[in-house]
Amino acid sequence: MKQVSIPSGASLTELYRKWVGDYPKFFKMDTLSKLGFLLTEMLVHDEPDRFTFREDRAVLVFSREGCVANDRHYAESMKDFPSPALFVYTLPNIVSGEIAIRNKWGGESSAYVLESYDEARIWEMVRQAFQDKCTQSALVAWIDCPSDNEFITNAWLVNKTDML
Amino acid sequence: MTKVYCIGCGLVTPVGNSPSEVLSAVRAGKSAFRLYDGWPEPYYASLLDRKGFEGPSFFDHIALQAASAAVQEAGIDASSSRVGLVLSTIKGNIEKIDSEDVSLAVVAESLAKALGVKTAPVVVSNACISGLAALLQGVRMIRSGAYDHIIVVGAEVQSRFIVTGFQSLKALSLNPCKPFDANREGLNVGEAAAAMVLSAQPASENYFSEGFPKNQFPDTSTKPTLISNWEIVDGAVRNDANHISGPSRTGEGSYNALRYVLEGVSAEELAFVNVHGTATRYNDQMEAIALNRAGLQDVPINALKGIFGHTMGAAGILESIVSMKACDAGVVLPTHGFSQMGVEPAVNVSALERKTDKKAFVKLLSGFGGVNGALLFRKGGAR
Amino acid sequence: MLDMENLINELKLKVIDALNLDGMTPEDIDDNAPLFGDEGLGLDSIDVLELIVLLEKNYGIRLASPAQGKEVFQSVAVMAAYVEKNRTK
Repeated sequence: MKQVSIPSGASLTELYRKWVGDYPKFFKMDTLSKLGFLLTEMLVHDEPDRFTFREDRAVLVFSREGCVANDRHYAESMKDFPSPALFVYTLPNIVSGEIAIRNKWGGESSAYVLESYDEARIWEMVRQAFQDKCTQSALVAWIDCPSDNEFITNAWLVNKTDML
Repeated sequence: MTKVYCIGCGLVTPVGNSPSEVLSAVRAGKSAFRLYDGWPEPYYASLLDRKGFEGPSFFDHIALQAASAAVQEAGIDASSSRVGLVLSTIKGNIEKIDSEDVSLAVVAESLAKALGVKTAPVVVSNACISGLAALLQGVRMIRSGAYDHIIVVGAEVQSRFIVTGFQSLKALSLNPCKPFDANREGLNVGEAAAAMVLSAQPASENYFSEGFPKNQFPDTSTKPTLISNWEIVDGAVRNDANHISGPSRTGEGSYNALRYVLEGVSAEELAFVNVHGTATRYNDQMEAIALNRAGLQDVPINALKGIFGHTMGAAGILESIVSMKACDAGVVLPTHGFSQMGVEPAVNVSALERKTDKKAFVKLLSGFGGVNGALLFRKGGAR
Repeated sequence: MLDMENLINELKLKVIDALNLDGMTPEDIDDNAPLFGDEGLGLDSIDVLELIVLLEKNYGIRLASPAQGKEVFQSVAVMAAYVEKNRTK
């Protein structure tokens, strides 16, 4: 089971240039989405046929803070000219969507808020996600992003067989 | 696979809090829609009455009210270590953005505490499909064997944050929304709270009819009519893998979710499909494509947002409860706001109430982030 | 004409900023190049909405709908002509 993380406060632009470089939509994303996007790149960048549409991989993102960092940006813009580009990221599940779009993963995608980073609970819920008969693997991430400069991340690519 | 049943419901809506009141309102086309002053643009919405409410959080209040009603109807002990709590909401207490109380984790914790739930709650925040995804999460928790009952609550209150956001996307209509109609021009926002208690045991084991737990009728000769045992058979969530806010032109995720839940199920078995039907130009067209691809073009379709508006985190649960109650009454509810077919290929939607004697339906929803979900409901004993 | 040139340049800078077009400079955007579609900058529906906000915020122009937006935002030159004609700020 592969595991990666991005240290708190790391330069996401530098990581983008290192791991991706050809996806300009990256710069429209909020920090939560950028983190999920990069963590996924780090896990699957050398997977064969990685951009072929598939329905058998779930994207499961867990956090405590959700998208609160971006919510504050939107709330600021709301005071005079509400920004649609910010508003679309005021959902904790957009990160899962950005991962799905980039990688052409048409399987399950979800976002959950837990009281704290509880690995036992996370794996219990990942195991529950495998009840979907199509799901053979999952991109699992804990991304806690209270602000644009402070974040705690951990991500795994797990196969159904790893759950036995 | 373990069967999972709905054994209790709770509702807080602008057209009533009891399933019979709510069902009557939908059948009569009665809504609570009004135009409200905005910031500064006005918006058309179905909102709850806050008159006299003085507590710290209206959101917390309605979520608790719906959940408590469901728990009471189910007759369960919420403090058991075999009882879980799943909360569905998009923005929760977003008006408290300047404080720690905005956190969805904090909201879930206070709701668990108020209900007496001892296990750690989970929040599903998966855009507009959250309620449906929360029910699916509840089903999975019971199937995992770790829980006997799950309280699933969905709630949403409207706010400047949400309304101005949808206004910036130009997604709102200032008129009553028109699902699937040729002249549809956008959605209306709504508020509600809705809850279900899911169980591995059918309701008939626990109680006999709405609000009458088994222990009140020890003498079986005075037993009221058995209520129907609604089973959540299965569900699926699928991503379009296309765009974060625009639906897929091929209805990819919606079609894939439908295909999954309908495997081995004939379209003829379905009383109806209760769809997302937000009345935006793109959503309804996408659903029409997905429904046709899935072979459901002749199955009666209905949408409830012409009565409740888009209740976001509550929608999946609210619309499923109303659908179960309608099916119990032998009715395919009218799609209020629809008059002229406005999608291609067409779907079997109607502004009029229709009769049905079928005992299963599908709940379908879509949301931002490219998510789509489908749940199959079936009355126990129907097969 | 200098005014129009300045306006075009100003618009390019604002578009780059509003749409997070990382690393682009005004020199990278041809005045008459389509902004939308694959041959253009590849902007999408959210970008149209954000440009609608840009027009209101900076020039006091309120467009009626995203459909009107697609007309006005065909290229920076078309946008500049529209702003010049309709600005209230």
